[in-house]
Amino acid sequence: MRFQEMTMALDRFWADRGCVIAPPHDTEVGAGTFYPTTFLRALGPEPWRVAGIAPSRRPADGRYGQNPYRFQYYYQYQVVLKPSPADVQDTYLASLYHLGIDPLAHDIRFVEDNWESPTLGAWGLGWEVWMDGMEITQFTYFQQVGGIDCAPVSVELTYGLERLAMYLQGVEHAFDVEVAPGVTLGDLRADFERQHCAYNFDHVDADLQRLLFDRFEAETQRLLGLDLVHPAYEFALRCSHAFNLLDARGVLSHTERQGFVQRVRRLTEASARAYLAARAAAAPAEVA
Amino acid sequence: MATLLFEIGTEELPSWFVRQADDAIVGIVSARLGGAGLAHGAIRRYSTPRRLAVLVDDLAAFSERRPDVRRGPAESAAFDADGRPTKAAIGFARASGVDPADLLVEDTDKGRYVFARRELGGDPAAELLPPLLAGVIDDLPAPRKMRWGDGDAAFVRPLAWLVALLDDAVVPVRFAGIEAGRTSRGHRFLHEGPIELAHAGDYPDALDRASVSADRSERRASVIASAESAAATAGLLLERDSALEEEVTDLVESPSAILGSFDARFLDLPDAVLATVMIHHQRFFPTREQGGALAASFVAISNNRVPDDTVVRAGYEQVLRGRLDDARFFWDADRRATLAQHAWALAGIAFHKELGSMADKVARVAKATRRLAELLGVSKEEAAVLKQALPLFRADLATQMVYELPELEGTMGCAYARAEGLPEAVAIALEDGVLPRGPSGALAASRVGALLSIADRLDTVTGFFAIGRRPSGSADPFGVRRAALGALRTLTAQGWRVPLPKVLQAVAGSYSAPVVEDDVLADVERYLWDRVAGLLAEEGIAPMVVRAAVHGSRSVIGAARRAHLLQGLVAVPGFADLLTLHKRAANLAKQTGGAARVKPGLFRDPVEGPLHDALPEARRGVERLMAGVRKQLAPWDLGHGPGVELQGLDAAVAEVVRLKAPLDAFFEGVMVMVDDAEVRGNRLALLGEVADALSDLGALSYLEAPAEA
Repeated sequence: MRFQEMTMALDRFWADRGCVIAPPHDTEVGAGTFYPTTFLRALGPEPWRVAGIAPSRRPADGRYGQNPYRFQYYYQYQVVLKPSPADVQDTYLASLYHLGIDPLAHDIRFVEDNWESPTLGAWGLGWEVWMDGMEITQFTYFQQVGGIDCAPVSVELTYGLERLAMYLQGVEHAFDVEVAPGVTLGDLRADFERQHCAYNFDHVDADLQRLLFDRFEAETQRLLGLDLVHPAYEFALRCSHAFNLLDARGVLSHTERQGFVQRVRRLTEASARAYLAARAAAAPAEVA
Repeated sequence: MATLLFEIGTEELPSWFVRQADDAIVGIVSARLGGAGLAHGAIRRYSTPRRLAVLVDDLAAFSERRPDVRRGPAESAAFDADGRPTKAAIGFARASGVDPADLLVEDTDKGRYVFARRELGGDPAAELLPPLLAGVIDDLPAPRKMRWGDGDAAFVRPLAWLVALLDDAVVPVRFAGIEAGRTSRGHRFLHEGPIELAHAGDYPDALDRASVSADRSERRASVIASAESAAATAGLLLERDSALEEEVTDLVESPSAILGSFDARFLDLPDAVLATVMIHHQRFFPTREQGGALAASFVAISNNRVPDDTVVRAGYEQVLRGRLDDARFFWDADRRATLAQHAWALAGIAFHKELGSMADKVARVAKATRRLAELLGVSKEEAAVLKQALPLFRADLATQMVYELPELEGTMGCAYARAEGLPEAVAIALEDGVLPRGPSGALAASRVGALLSIADRLDTVTGFFAIGRRPSGSADPFGVRRAALGALRTLTAQGWRVPLPKVLQAVAGSYSAPVVEDDVLADVERYLWDRVAGLLAEEGIAPMVVRAAVHGSRSVIGAARRAHLLQGLVAVPGFADLLTLHKRAANLAKQTGGAARVKPGLFRDPVEGPLHDALPEARRGVERLMAGVRKQLAPWDLGHGPGVELQGLDAAVAEVVRLKAPLDAFFEGVMVMVDDAEVRGNRLALLGEVADALSDLGALSYLEAPAEA
């Protein structure tokens, strides 16, 4: 199964189970969890189901494309179901079957994993899913998002697409995965990866990123004051990315790093509160 | 009499919780049944990653009957002039569950009162059980529970189903919106469809048929047996690891072992690296050749029994190969620099913003270690090892291997030192210096390693106290408590009889920014003695004995030995009486102010001489006790017990206790505070010697019964 057929198969599978197949968000994020369709929609009482490919950036994880598993830019497949359904584990296993992985022919395990995102004020409990010893999915029941208790609770499934594709195609490096006939992930991403690694590790202009962080932070707060929650949250995401670049560049001491984490967290938590306040104002009958 | 089955079906539980719940559930069920007055027979327990269950034999059909008597208002307040019950009496009757007409009046020693008598119990088990069993789910202890779906219920992972059967009848337990029934589930992959249980007693066999090994101890045995036999098929021995065995047992419902292998070229990686990758990262068991060398094979415990295991095996092998490739990459890359070169990079790793970088820390530790070595005395050889080890200590923190596999800190320092061809003792010191790794972790065996470990840990404790970050309550973000315990355990295990304040001064002297003030150091010392007291309490020493030992000692090993000696002494008949008299002597002697010498020429009463004459024997007894305890109690890992009982000290104890008679006679026979200043001073001096004679046993005033004061 080619990479694009995998994502199409997952889209089909989750669309059939009531999910909106949302296109990727266009601000840099560290993981699908930062997407507004996950982070903001996990708040409040409305049911919500969304799925889709979620390109993500973790500048510090780059290895110039040398390591078969680790990249500064990679694809997650992100599913959020709110409230978490009682049969979600079985549905997840059925999605693997849909990809051509027969759970009866493998050793599939749900191994405890407690997830926490300090920059999002979020934590949850769940599992890493192991297939024959390889972690292929993170499975999390959100307990808190943006510092706010989740009620109802959403479940987030994050498939490691590159790993699953490597397995299904029997190749040993993500860049050898065939995306479309004759085109590999390496064709799409190898140069991009190498150049961004060079940028992240050696050429990030730290002064510029510090300045941007300060300005984006102020902008988030200004926009929150105008009740413009969505633009405000995007600037919080830009702060998060500026911080990630500074981190990858290796210019942050441990304590300075903690300080940046706290600052991003304050912005995302304020966005979460503003989002809840806005939706309460829009639907007064429901919260009355 | 009936059989009760209660099964809590869940999504996959964390392995640590399965084990913890398996330990706790019988006690919880038994307490709940007992509280409801339901008599029962044996309780069997079952646990897997997907279920916790109990099977209770011989459960009574009704709760036990027991009389319930309550006293109400006085007769005068309970009935009006016409003999009709008052409002107070009616309210009391209602609250007591009886009809006002059934109230009784009885004589008491405070007059006549109204009583309500009734019989409680006799309730059908089937009615008592639903809330009782739901309470069992709440009672299962877990540090953190979660919610799911749109409910408010909390458990460790979402509940999936409940089974509650009293013989063949469903008990309608409800929890988290789930109604209990008779339908269980089998193995996730090896059994299809629900399991319908006709009778509670069918449970064990039904699970067995559904490929669930639900008895935890049987499953654990089968994990080990299948892993051993898989290794044996290739003529290999299984590397036993009890933590891994426990964890793997609770990751599977039906264990089956698969033997896999990796490229033998990885075998030149250090054993600790191979074992860490296999055990911690993949939960695989390493294997050994018959000759003892680590083999290029591993055993994985699968939760599935697939028709063709080549796919599963290939998956395990591929993941392990990826991990070992990484490890090999780090091993090769790290060795392109020497440890001394890696040590330069410590300047770029922060320890704490107010306490400097790791390079600053290691420099402080080096100075402190040299001072401690002087204080404790080391051989010429050890001094040479120390000189080579100090500049390399914790340098492995800067290596890629330790960055990726932090649990290998120290181990890699040792491995890289060996690879560089440094002396073996230096390599060992580098690993010993990071020990112990946990509250029960192994301690440094080499003296040089122990010095490094103590200096490093006390540097952490002192530094964080100096910047006002001492641990409070259970919050210990910088691991100060852990560091303190590690240092004290190591110090005791080395048996170093050096006063704790001197050890602390040696460490604090390395700090220049911040400067460690005397009051901070005093605070650190109190904190450490409190930890010593805690460790001694863990060895089963009584609190007052711990206080006497700790307050009467300067070295940690001294406090530990005194604690065990005094624990025995307080049980000796006569010793308690001696303590009472000794305290009186010590209190009076405090008034002397100076160390006056006793002049036998000033004795005026016949009881004074015998007391004076008895002192040398008592002193000899104390000396023999202390010598005996030093000889018998070899240094040990504090908090874990010396492992031997003191014995053969009766004669020495008798020598000490014999002081009681002349001391008793002295207090009976003379008045100490006489007008004659010379005689008075001489008597106080004599009592001062009495106090001093026993002082080496500890701060004995902590031992006395409060009644005496």
